[in-house]
Amino acid sequence: MPRQIYDVIVIGTGAGGGMAIKTLCEAGLKVCALNSGRRLDPEKDFRNHRNSWEMKYRGFGDPKTRMKDMPDFLDSEYNQGAWEHDIAYTTAPGTKWMWPRCSAVGGKTNFWGRSAARFADIDFKAATLDGFDADWPVTYGEMAPYYTHVEKMIGVASTVQNRPSNPDGVYLPPFNFRCLDWILQKGSEKVGVPYLPDRLAQLTEAHDGHPACHFCGDCTFGCEVGAFFSSPWFLLPAAEASGNLEMRTNAVAKNILVDENGRASGVAYIDRESRQEYEVLGRAVVVAASCIESARIMLNSKSRHWPNGIANSSGQLGHNLCDHLYATTASGYLPQLLGQPSFPDNVGANSIAWMPRWQNLEHAHEETFVRGYSVYPDGGCSEFPSYHDQIEGFGSSFKREIKRRYPTPVSLTVQAPTLPSGKNFVDIDPKAKDTFGIPMARIHFQWGDNELKMFQHAKQTSAAVLHSAGGVLEYAAEEPESPGYSLHETGTCRMGDDARKFVTNRFGQTHDVGNLYVCDASVFLNSTDKTTTLSILAFTLRTSEYLMQQFR
Amino acid sequence: MAGQSIERREILRILAVAAGVATFPGFSKWSFACGHISNALAQIKPAVYRPVFFTAPEYALIERLTDLIIPADDTPGARDAGVSEFVDLMVSRDLHLQRDFRTGLSWLNTHSRKTLGKAFLMLDADQQTVFLEPLAYKKKFRTGDERGREFFTLVREYTVMGFYTSEIGLKELDFPGLKFYAESPSCPHKDDPEHRHLDPATSK
Repeated sequence: MPRQIYDVIVIGTGAGGGMAIKTLCEAGLKVCALNSGRRLDPEKDFRNHRNSWEMKYRGFGDPKTRMKDMPDFLDSEYNQGAWEHDIAYTTAPGTKWMWPRCSAVGGKTNFWGRSAARFADIDFKAATLDGFDADWPVTYGEMAPYYTHVEKMIGVASTVQNRPSNPDGVYLPPFNFRCLDWILQKGSEKVGVPYLPDRLAQLTEAHDGHPACHFCGDCTFGCEVGAFFSSPWFLLPAAEASGNLEMRTNAVAKNILVDENGRASGVAYIDRESRQEYEVLGRAVVVAASCIESARIMLNSKSRHWPNGIANSSGQLGHNLCDHLYATTASGYLPQLLGQPSFPDNVGANSIAWMPRWQNLEHAHEETFVRGYSVYPDGGCSEFPSYHDQIEGFGSSFKREIKRRYPTPVSLTVQAPTLPSGKNFVDIDPKAKDTFGIPMARIHFQWGDNELKMFQHAKQTSAAVLHSAGGVLEYAAEEPESPGYSLHETGTCRMGDDARKFVTNRFGQTHDVGNLYVCDASVFLNSTDKTTTLSILAFTLRTSEYLMQQFR
Repeated sequence: MAGQSIERREILRILAVAAGVATFPGFSKWSFACGHISNALAQIKPAVYRPVFFTAPEYALIERLTDLIIPADDTPGARDAGVSEFVDLMVSRDLHLQRDFRTGLSWLNTHSRKTLGKAFLMLDADQQTVFLEPLAYKKKFRTGDERGREFFTLVREYTVMGFYTSEIGLKELDFPGLKFYAESPSCPHKDDPEHRHLDPATSK
């Protein structure tokens, strides 16, 4: 029997892969999707509706098996078993990289933070404005219809805000402000900083067959009713219903196969359980494995035609790795709320507002750094009184103080983009192979001056906001979180018109290999002050349309 | 609107399923902790729980420390919530914690014998409190106590973790989450955005 040749093989089923799969399947193309992990069962794998005391380790997870360097909300008892432990990576000397990955179907969209703001021309044309690096090969005008399409598909709650860095979209009603939001907004006003409803891909009302959010508050542990956007709830069902999708799970992509002309002919993968290698053939290949994994797969795809990795004639594959610098820039409490009755503040895992970029808006060089950052505020009554270490003593007075402080905690987190740097890239470790026998990615990454200046600036502003709001500042981070913490890495397969400098063209098609496409944040020129998911969806939608045209 | 009520039923069903998986068997107080929480004093009796990691004397000490850190007063405390069982479980799963707890407990008794002539558990309640204060309040810190302070901080952290993840502890805080809300909860004091004039709270 001749081997089946699919129209398109898509590696990855997260935001990019999911959108490509849906769009291509609905257009009638036969798609084979490869996903490196298993399918999740919402009722079993998402434990967000469980009380802490119903879990053996009270939600903290088994100290023996839990990945120690992960933040509390990842790989905890609520979503244990969904995070990658097997596919290892190495870091170059001096690089700290904390890399939580979800290999389950849908990837990180199962647990993401849901902030979904459009990029703007101030982002796409940043190089023209400030003279650093290169512009994106697209304009906001070209992208706007794709953003609109995506917002209508997934449902984003926000308001019209008329800010130059934040084009407005099509929105569901916003989340209501809680006490702490009004207080912090007043404080922000006095400092001259915006404090507004975030763009949240979380349904404040039923939308397109998806139920409204019920505001239980444990979103980062997954949602078993599908009230915020994730690929398995919003994209994959339509693809499966089309009858055009074959999903292969536990299929760890190893390399892209090429024909005698050096064009992509399929993908070799390892079955996670049997450890056997398989090949699947297709007329086109979409790589959507997330930034670093996509680069790794392509760098590991060496052949006579592509001795340095497929589609790497520019030598830029794996380069220009960017990330978001994250740090707690101020935390403390609001004395106004001391002793107040508890209030359901944790409706969107505690963050429903944002302080969108306010720096370098009128002129690119107003500040000592170029471009800009945003800040996410959160706080109020959450499940666990993590402020306990700010209260000294023990006994009844300690217990009373924990109760009195319960509605009051606030915390501001900076999200600052890194600039592309020659020091920050991914290559293949020449020695190390993972448990599947696949050479590992090696990550090279250092914070640069620009983002570290933003961090200091954000600390000053955050302290001022908290003080102006009448709050008490108790803590600000000395050092940012480790690189990788944000899960927002970009770059490695950047898009641009010049085939000598960029891996992909303005449509995400690789310059070298006409039937090879990249659909994740690796095509982005750099990170911005905004999160990546909404833009991955919009760019993928555009790439998928382009790919379909090539098929006609 | 009809759609909404189906949705609500669905959520209640899911919540009910979640509640069904409730208790982990093998602990004496967690299941109990969900039930009767009154008459805290009656609970001061030897636990039937068999520690996984701690020796019996160590465990008795842990139980007393958690009780001193979050006592039963007008509301139930750490002992009612079975916090020492949680501490034992967590410590049993982590070699570093085992070392820190074991050496810390030993420091406590050695130090108590040295300064007051008795093991910690042999002190009366007031003496125990006075003994712990220099480990817990900055103003009372003493040089030479560093290891003891580190240990006390560790015990306190695990006591807080165990208590405020128990049903008793979350009831104490009146934890408002994991509930169904028809719309996103909204601040009830819109006429006072800065919240300068709230009613002085009726703290329980």
